[in-house]
Amino acid sequence: MSIGMILLLVLGLLILFGVLQRVLDRMALTDRQALLCVAAIFIGGWLPSIPLGLIELNIGGALIPFIVCVYLLLHAGTGKERVRALVASVLTAASIYALNLVIPSDPLAMPMLDPMILTGIAGGVIAWLLGRSRRSAFIAGVLGVIIADIVGGVSLWMKGINQTVHLGGAGALDAVVIAGITGVLMCELVGEIMERIQTGRARAPHEDGAIQGGHRA
Amino acid sequence: MKKRLFCLLLALMLLAPAALAEDDPDDSAVFTVTDENGAALFAISHAVNAGDEYISRDNALYRIEQVNGTTATAIRIGEETMPDVSWLDAGEAQAVFAQEGGAVQAASDSTDSKKLIAMYVTHSDESYVPSDGAQSIEGQGGIYDVARQFRDALQAQGIDVILDESTHLPHDSGAYRRSRRTAERLLQNRPDAIIDIHRDGIPNADEYVATIDGENASQVRLLVGRSNQNSEVNRAFAKEIKAVADKKYPGLVKDIFIGKGNYNQDLSPNAILLEFGTHTISKERVLNSTDVMADVVSTTLYGAQTGSAKSTKTEKAESAEKASASAKNKGSMSGIALLAVLVVVGVILFALVQTGGGKAMGNKIGRNLREMTGGLVGKKKDEDAT
Repeated sequence: MSIGMILLLVLGLLILFGVLQRVLDRMALTDRQALLCVAAIFIGGWLPSIPLGLIELNIGGALIPFIVCVYLLLHAGTGKERVRALVASVLTAASIYALNLVIPSDPLAMPMLDPMILTGIAGGVIAWLLGRSRRSAFIAGVLGVIIADIVGGVSLWMKGINQTVHLGGAGALDAVVIAGITGVLMCELVGEIMERIQTGRARAPHEDGAIQGGHRA
Repeated sequence: MKKRLFCLLLALMLLAPAALAEDDPDDSAVFTVTDENGAALFAISHAVNAGDEYISRDNALYRIEQVNGTTATAIRIGEETMPDVSWLDAGEAQAVFAQEGGAVQAASDSTDSKKLIAMYVTHSDESYVPSDGAQSIEGQGGIYDVARQFRDALQAQGIDVILDESTHLPHDSGAYRRSRRTAERLLQNRPDAIIDIHRDGIPNADEYVATIDGENASQVRLLVGRSNQNSEVNRAFAKEIKAVADKKYPGLVKDIFIGKGNYNQDLSPNAILLEFGTHTISKERVLNSTDVMADVVSTTLYGAQTGSAKSTKTEKAESAEKASASAKNKGSMSGIALLAVLVVVGVILFALVQTGGGKAMGNKIGRNLREMTGGLVGKKKDEDAT
C-alpha cells in the first residue's frame, strides 16, 4: 500500500469518525460530500484517462480534485479569498517547479521525504503562509501540481519534445491528490498548534460548533 | 510595501526555475565508498547515506557508517545469505517470484499461465558517451535502445513484455514522480515484475567492463530502495536475480546497492531498478548484456525451463521455494505492520489535536461509533450528558 492510498484511507476514517467535521465545515463540505469525493478519487483513478492532445487527464487523480477546487472557489467567502487561493496556486506551482530543479534528482540524496510528499507540503506551507485558509491550501496544493506539470510540459513542447503530460496519472496516489490533502492537514495541524501556543487552550466548542463536550480539562 | 514584496517574491519564484534549468541535470556527484581499512569498495553516481547497505559481487554485506562529502566508509557486516539456486543444476523448473503478492505456485502452473513483464525508463535522457556522443540527450536517450533490446531478448524467452517508451523529462527530482504515473499505468496489466531501466554515471568505465560467455559485455548493478514497505521483498527479489546470474553468468551482476529512496518500488514487490553499465562505457557492450540478463530475469521469475516441458521438483527445490516465499511474506507483513502502526499513531495524534484532549476524542469517536453501528457499539446518549 502506497502513501497515497494510506492518506486516502486515513482521510476516510477521519471523516467517518467525525474528527474532520470542523475542517469540512470550513471547506463548506458535508461529511457525505467529502466521503463521495474520496470514493470518486479512488474509483476515478482506475478509469481510463481523458486524452486532450498531448495532455492526458486522469479522472480520479486530477479531474475530481479540480472539480472540488472549482466548488471551493465558488463557495469562497470573498473575492479576495478567491484571488488569494489562485495566487497561492501559482506560487505553489513555481515552488514545485523550482524544488524539482534544486533538490537532487536522485531519491537517495533526498531528505526524509520523497518528491510526492514534498510537493504536498510545499502547497500546504505556502497556502498557509498566504491565507491561513484550509480552502486555499487545498486549492493551492491541487492546482499547484497541475500548473507545474503543465508548465513543465509546455517548456518541453517548446523545445520540440512531444512528451505527453499525464495530469493526475497515478490516480489516488498522485501528487495532485496528496498535495491537496496534505495541504489541508498541514494547515489544520499548524493552525491548531499555533493557536494553542498563543492562547494556551483549544478552541471552545461554541467557536466552531463542531465539537460538543470537547473542553480541555 | 507588502504588495511590492509579494510581487518580488512571486517574480523570483517564477524566474528562479528558468535560471536553474541551465544546469546539467546529469551532472550528479560520484560517491566513493571504502571499507574500514580504506580499501576502495565501489563508486556510485548516487548519493550515499549512513545506513545504506551494499552486497558486493562476492556476496559480502556492508553497511555505510560514515559519509564525508563524496566519500563514505562502510563496515563489513558479514556474508549475505543468498537464495539457494541449486535447482538450476538439475535444470528444473521453478517459479519463485512470478506470482504477484507473494503467493508461490508450482512451476507447472507458471508454465501454463501468461508471463508478463513491464518496463519503463525514468531517466529518459541517459545515454552512453562513446556511442551516443553525450551522456544526456533530451528526448529519448541511448538508454531506450538498451530497453528495446532487453525487451526483444525477453520476448525471445517467450515472455510478453510491455515497454512503455514514455519520456519523463527533465532529469530532475520530479522524474520519479512522473515515471510513477507510468509505473502505475503499467501495473494495471498485472505484470509479474516491473523493471526501471537506467545506467550509472560513474566516470570509470572499467568498473562495469566484463566478459560474459566470451563476449565483450557490461555488468549490471541492481538498486533497491529501502524507504518503502516493500523494501525487504524487493531486496529478496534482487538477491534472487543475483544468485541466478552468479550461477549462470558469473560476473554479470556487479552488486546490489540498497539505498535510501523509494524508486516507485513501493508499488510492487517485484519491482527492480537495473543499471546497465555507466555513461562512459560503449552502448554496444551494454547491448551485449541484454540477452544474458533477459535469461537471468526469465529464469528467476519463471524457472529454468520456459518451454512447455514440466518437471517434478526435488525436495530441495521445494524447500528453497518455501523459504523464499516465507521470507517474502515476512517482508511484506513487517512493512504492512510498520505502516499500520504509523497510521494509528498519526490518526490518534491528529484526533487529539483536533478535539483538544483524550476525553473529548473518546467522546467524539464513541458518539460516531454509536451512530454508525445503530447503538450496538460506542458511547450511549446518557453518557454524553455527564
